[in-house]
Amino acid sequence: MSTLPSEIDERIDRLLAGPPFLQEPEHHHAELLSVLQAELAYAAQREPRLQRYFEACPVSYRAATRIADLPYLPAGAFKANPPLALVKAQEITRTLTSSATTGQTPSRVVLDATTSKRMTKGVMSILRSFIGPMRRPYLVIDTPVSLAGADELGARAAAIQGLRTFATEIVCCLRSGPAGGLEIDEARVLAFAAKWRAAPVLAYGFTYVLWHSFVLPLQKKGICLEMPNVWLLHSGGWKRLQDQAVTRDTFAKGAVSVFGCDESRILDFYGMVENVGVVYPDCDQGNKHVPAFAQIIVRDPLTLAPVPPGGLGLVQVCSVLPTSFPGYLVLTEDIGEVVSYDGCPCGRRGTSFRFVKRVPKAEIRGCGNVETARERGATEPAHA
Amino acid sequence: MSKRRAKGAPLSLRMPDRVLSVNSAAQIAAAAQQLRELARRKPVTPTQAIDVLERWGASLRGPALDAIPGVPFLRLWLRRGALEPIVMHELGREALHGQWHREGPARLGVFPLGVVGHWPAANIEIQPVLSLSCSLLGGNAALVRVPTSLVEVNGVLLDRLYEVDTPGVLADRVLAVTFGHERMDLQQAMAAAVDGAMIWGGAEAVSQIRALPFPHWARVVAFGPRLSVAAMDAESWTSLAEQKTWSLRIARDVWQFDQQACSSPQTLFLERRDGCDIDPFLGTLKDAFSEENRAHPRREIHPALSSAICLARANWLLDEGAANRAIFPQSPDWTILLGSGPDIPKPTQGRTLAVLLVNDLAEPISRFDGMVQTLGLAVQQDAREACLAHAAARNGVDRIVKLGRMHVFGSPWDGTDLVRSMTRVIRHVPSYDS
Repeated sequence: MSTLPSEIDERIDRLLAGPPFLQEPEHHHAELLSVLQAELAYAAQREPRLQRYFEACPVSYRAATRIADLPYLPAGAFKANPPLALVKAQEITRTLTSSATTGQTPSRVVLDATTSKRMTKGVMSILRSFIGPMRRPYLVIDTPVSLAGADELGARAAAIQGLRTFATEIVCCLRSGPAGGLEIDEARVLAFAAKWRAAPVLAYGFTYVLWHSFVLPLQKKGICLEMPNVWLLHSGGWKRLQDQAVTRDTFAKGAVSVFGCDESRILDFYGMVENVGVVYPDCDQGNKHVPAFAQIIVRDPLTLAPVPPGGLGLVQVCSVLPTSFPGYLVLTEDIGEVVSYDGCPCGRRGTSFRFVKRVPKAEIRGCGNVETARERGATEPAHA
Repeated sequence: MSKRRAKGAPLSLRMPDRVLSVNSAAQIAAAAQQLRELARRKPVTPTQAIDVLERWGASLRGPALDAIPGVPFLRLWLRRGALEPIVMHELGREALHGQWHREGPARLGVFPLGVVGHWPAANIEIQPVLSLSCSLLGGNAALVRVPTSLVEVNGVLLDRLYEVDTPGVLADRVLAVTFGHERMDLQQAMAAAVDGAMIWGGAEAVSQIRALPFPHWARVVAFGPRLSVAAMDAESWTSLAEQKTWSLRIARDVWQFDQQACSSPQTLFLERRDGCDIDPFLGTLKDAFSEENRAHPRREIHPALSSAICLARANWLLDEGAANRAIFPQSPDWTILLGSGPDIPKPTQGRTLAVLLVNDLAEPISRFDGMVQTLGLAVQQDAREACLAHAAARNGVDRIVKLGRMHVFGSPWDGTDLVRSMTRVIRHVPSYDS
């Protein structure tokens, strides 16, 4: 099997080591394009199926002059079993799975030691720009199981563990309830708050877990932890809360009332397992930014061409970090809006965007909406 | 086109708004009763209906109408030359003029059911008109639930009916209504008020409508979800003289209704021939798709379909066990997926055609189940085609047509007579021997 040229490895590491949001856009684009082209060549050599896919794409990745013209994989391609891999089985250290809702197949991506390391570095590099570099006590709004090492790790545990490098000590404040659900360990929470009250503290929870198992129970009891210097991070999407008519404003007000902090201390970040090492917190303007080692493209669903500023479309994430699986260019199932291609007042350079919603499922009510024998599986009897 | 009416307000059958937005079960029940009384009071023979339908079809011209997908087919369908043979075949020559005909000692006469309710699918713009025309030919009145997404288009189509039928021969016996498909109270009211029903659409929609409380005497015909397939023998696809023509026909069948109709081809089976290269035919097919796309570009696309097209392309090429190929532009405009094997892949729709090489067309046909509605064929030898058609019919296929004509609406459809199914055939045995 071929290896990634060491020169490319070095360039990836340089991008990771530098300031994440200060790259001049044109230079950033050129640098990223050439690294991605080298990575695609590497992936094509390692996996003939990818080579077949790349060759079928209308623009040759070798000749492309824009990242937008490079061949991308839809996120659904990562639901394959076995997962798409660019490394041998013995090199895989961990598999990450997405948080698929009931009945859906999760995405699975494989990590080797190099990609794992870069994943951690990537997340740290981005979050430092938002919460500062210091290590601090870390309140995990989840159960201790989420910290356990495992060959296969869900998105929730991956996010929790990804923040470990910011921690001086870790306290998990949820436990499994008698009915199998999660419940708050109030004594632990209060002890943590009493010990670190005014100190800088990091807290993280999956959005719906944080709301249901932490904010609501404490709010119900009228408890305020009085931790003004907390950084409360959360991720994992809003669908479940939106279904229960919990708005972002309601959520923020609830979290503020429980922690006794300013709303600016709450950071919602967007991320996906296929895009390892890259997270997208909101800046103080409410926008999301891409770091030096990544890019975002929002594609018009009608043409799949990049949209102009203000345009809505399918979000494609691009990253040079993964070398154990082909997650360089991934078309997500999310709708986003490009705010600008540079010049966000927060000072971060490059593309700023907003996540709008998941792609709504098409309501197919037509007379041609069928499943076929091939789809059902060859062993199932035909039906008339 | 649509206006919301006050709850409980009576409906006139000649409203200026052609598709009425209704909000109460009482309105539907009252309207159906008015239609029923009118149909009894003023019988219409098939010939009288055809006179009006032909005028209606001829009036469907102009930029606004030409922009509606399927209108050219509708014009063909509404011609006397198309409708008369159907009525004669299904109901008999005498029925054209509403006459009885003798059969042994008895007389047979064809009579309407009364009010026929129509639940067309939401993805075919002209389906409400196609469906209601079938029941009108049988002398019925038609109560049509127009899906909310098709209200505007059908308002335009119905406008022309009112223009060409000022005496109200048919226009008076058509009532198009609209309400959200989730309004079960209105769905139930409509079902309870009709004597027959023609239901079209996807599995969920059809099952839901069939389960409504129709009167025990109501005749219900459901045209559920199906898919369609094209097939060419080696003589046809390797013929350099004919490749372009066949490719254009295939493209036309794929483009109509954005490949979402039950009669849209999702897969094209090509019979292999030793020494024949597929690439020239693929090149021609690609050109035909590009040309059809230039002539009929998409104006919009659901993001989920765009996403599904991208995924279909990737999954096809990443399929581990297969040496698949694909041709597509950067946009989601069209996709040709080339592979081999006799099984029909999961349809993606949105102008995504799987082209599969097989050793013998009989192989895929032998695997068809009742899911395949239409088989579009290009087979050079008559005897061979007859043999394949027979096999397809035995395996559940209901229509076998020439490629390029897969969407041409006609009776029977899905193996069912379209007019006869909404009529009653009355047997009269005279009380005295003649």
